[in-house]
Amino acid sequence: MTSPRRHLWIAAAAWAVLSIVGIVLVAGIQIIPVIASREAVIENSAFVLLTIVSVPVLMFVVVGLAYSALRFRANGDETDGPPVHGSRGFQSIWLGVSFALVIGLFGYGAVGLIDIRGAQSSDFEVQVRSEQWAWHFEYPDAGVVSKELHIPLGERVHLVINSDDVIHSFWVPAFGVKQDAVPGRPTQIYLTATVEGTYPGLCAELCGFGHTDMHLTVVVSGRAALESWLSQQPKPSPQPSGSPP
Amino acid sequence: MLRAVLGAATGIAVGVGSLTLARGAGLIIDDGQVLGLAYLLAVIGFLFGIGAFRFWVTWAAGRQVDPAEEHAAHGTAGDWRRYFRFTTDHKVIGVQYLVTAFLLFLIAGSFAMLMRFELAQPGLVLGKEAYNTVMSTHGAMMITVALISIIGGLGNYLVPIMIGARDMAFPKTNALSYWLLPLPILLVAINPLLGGFDSGWTAYPPLSQQANLGQQAYLMAFVTVGISSIISAINFLVTVFRMRAPGMSLMRMPIFVWALTVTATLALIATSVVAAAFTMLLFDRVLGTSFFRPSRGGDVILFEHLFWFYSHPAVYIMGLPGLGAILEVVPVFARKPLFAYPLAVLSFISIGVLSFMVWAHHMFVSGMAEFFHIPIMLTTELISVPTGIVFLSALGTIWMGKLHFKTPMLWVFGFIWAFLIGGITGVYLADVPTDITLSDTYFVVAHFHYTIVGGTIFGLFAGTYYWYPKITGRMYSERLGKLHFWWFTLAFNATFLPMFWLGIEGMRRRVADYPSQFGGLNLWISFAAFNIFLSVAVFVFNMVWSWRRGPRAAPNPWRAHTLEWQISSPPPIQNFDHIPMVSAGPYEYGGGVGVPAEGRAAQ
Repeated sequence: MTSPRRHLWIAAAAWAVLSIVGIVLVAGIQIIPVIASREAVIENSAFVLLTIVSVPVLMFVVVGLAYSALRFRANGDETDGPPVHGSRGFQSIWLGVSFALVIGLFGYGAVGLIDIRGAQSSDFEVQVRSEQWAWHFEYPDAGVVSKELHIPLGERVHLVINSDDVIHSFWVPAFGVKQDAVPGRPTQIYLTATVEGTYPGLCAELCGFGHTDMHLTVVVSGRAALESWLSQQPKPSPQPSGSPP
Repeated sequence: MLRAVLGAATGIAVGVGSLTLARGAGLIIDDGQVLGLAYLLAVIGFLFGIGAFRFWVTWAAGRQVDPAEEHAAHGTAGDWRRYFRFTTDHKVIGVQYLVTAFLLFLIAGSFAMLMRFELAQPGLVLGKEAYNTVMSTHGAMMITVALISIIGGLGNYLVPIMIGARDMAFPKTNALSYWLLPLPILLVAINPLLGGFDSGWTAYPPLSQQANLGQQAYLMAFVTVGISSIISAINFLVTVFRMRAPGMSLMRMPIFVWALTVTATLALIATSVVAAAFTMLLFDRVLGTSFFRPSRGGDVILFEHLFWFYSHPAVYIMGLPGLGAILEVVPVFARKPLFAYPLAVLSFISIGVLSFMVWAHHMFVSGMAEFFHIPIMLTTELISVPTGIVFLSALGTIWMGKLHFKTPMLWVFGFIWAFLIGGITGVYLADVPTDITLSDTYFVVAHFHYTIVGGTIFGLFAGTYYWYPKITGRMYSERLGKLHFWWFTLAFNATFLPMFWLGIEGMRRRVADYPSQFGGLNLWISFAAFNIFLSVAVFVFNMVWSWRRGPRAAPNPWRAHTLEWQISSPPPIQNFDHIPMVSAGPYEYGGGVGVPAEGRAAQ
């Protein structure tokens, strides 16, 4: 007969080994597939931290289940198990660890959140207008409207997002930004692109049957290239209807 | 039943007829208004036809209710027709709910198969409009399954017996809450004939204001199911607090009863909010109001708040009964007392309270008030503490137990795994920085299937196998039960685990088509999902066949200690000849207080 204490030690050792192996495997990996903005970098480190914390939690339950399934089978023994109703010590540790984890994760999340969404000054503003099922980008300083979003590299960009009909959602995976476009109520986000290139974006909120095909394209280029692109765009003489004040 | 159908038909005829006449007289009336009135009158006609108001009308008219008639409404043992009538016996109502829920589970599952058929390969087969309707209907129906199966089915059948009562507190309202369901369920099932609806079950305006009549059908059905849910919640609460047998103190109640008590409290408080929000949305559509019409000063975010103020607690309305069923099964098959029972009770109550403070985590990218992200992130992460206690209780009970791996116990193990994955991935969605990337992707789809299927459906299967001998008086086939478990669990994980990866890679939810790079994985998922469906066929066969041919079940085949196992299988029509005296807690394994199992129900 294995003593109760011995069962605990074996399981704890298995848990420790599996947790360490797991943490080594996940530490430092890139989870967001393409990272091209300051925001996406913050989000990726949040992903990695949460995954590191998840490993020992996952392993604790899995080892507990697997060990029990292997070692505590009745195998025809019809007697009852020990009449244990609880363990004050173990319950206290469990609660203490849960609360500590929650408070720690909350603190880390709050810092990241403020870093991503906190009020910031911007260097470049674009009005984003959405409708079923297309995106329009208006550059107030240049007086230009385009189908593609062009933003400068390494500068703080302020996007003010509107909708003409139903709820849409502006999402560019590589930038780690997503924001609903709400009719009657402009929303806004800030982002700083860090890698030059062309990135796909899409509508993330179900907006009718055209939702599947509601895509957009973002081009990130140096300020000079952006200015020359803006100057080549035709300037619409009357303001497009529905654009906000 | 026939009279009920006639009643409904009369209601429809009066509704359509009167408005057609009004139209003829020159009034401007649109189809939505006709559908609204016809449905309202159909529900009332149906309920009158089935006899739901018979006793109340008699009573209100000042006449004496004939006791023989009241007795007849309770039904006679062995008479199959009582399952198709307005019967007041809680056991009949439980079976009605359970069978209805499983039928709906099959229909909604078929809709899921259609979705996976469309998604198996990039490109379009059904088409975008049809896909959105199929997806929305699947969601609406499965939500209903999760809401009614354990509470209405197992809860109605077992709660009175488990607390030593002869019936629910209000048997007639109990039957009413069931008979409110057939018409809305039918209406949702036929919504494709009314043009379908493409808003998903969340029905966000303005999309849900511009959509077809099928959309309106869904809204009306949802409100009706909500009313049924509120009525049934009141009944459960009164039953639990007023009908317990002597000696059945609150802290001697089986944990399943505790789970349903908290659930009923949530349903009572939260459901009225969503019923109001959906009614306002209906008014916007049918009566021309502007609660949620931005073009006329309405507010769309307001709807999101009202919707999730119910629909997040609703996740716990679906989940808690499953957790209760799981914790009920664990001690029996581990032959040990439930670990940390008082803490588990406290955790259910805490989940109930906290569930009202987390709704806006569905709205982290919605454009709601900026500061509100922070408190909601905190409360959402806090709720993982009481939810974690469920794992503490289950693992603590299993540890050092004498485990009997009968089918219900296998579902417990499957539950712990699935709900653990659901819980861990939930933290990624509670954390705003990661949620910005993940919201509205397949990560969310995978997460909520791991929690709702993992919590509710695994709990439902565990409970259904566990209580099957009690309800039917027959044993199910253990071999088929195990086949069902392994097949379902492997296929379930093969379906939903890859979806986490799809979501991180950027596949949006609620789309009929996707970039071709996701093609291989989606084909695999469709194949695995089809296997879930096949495994459920094994379950259905086992249940139906064993009910007729299974070996007769002993009163207490599992050697459990709770009251329902101390009476015959199936229970006599009045449950107990004498109301039992309860002298010990429900899980006294290992001779804790020296009360033999059979002695607990001493009269």
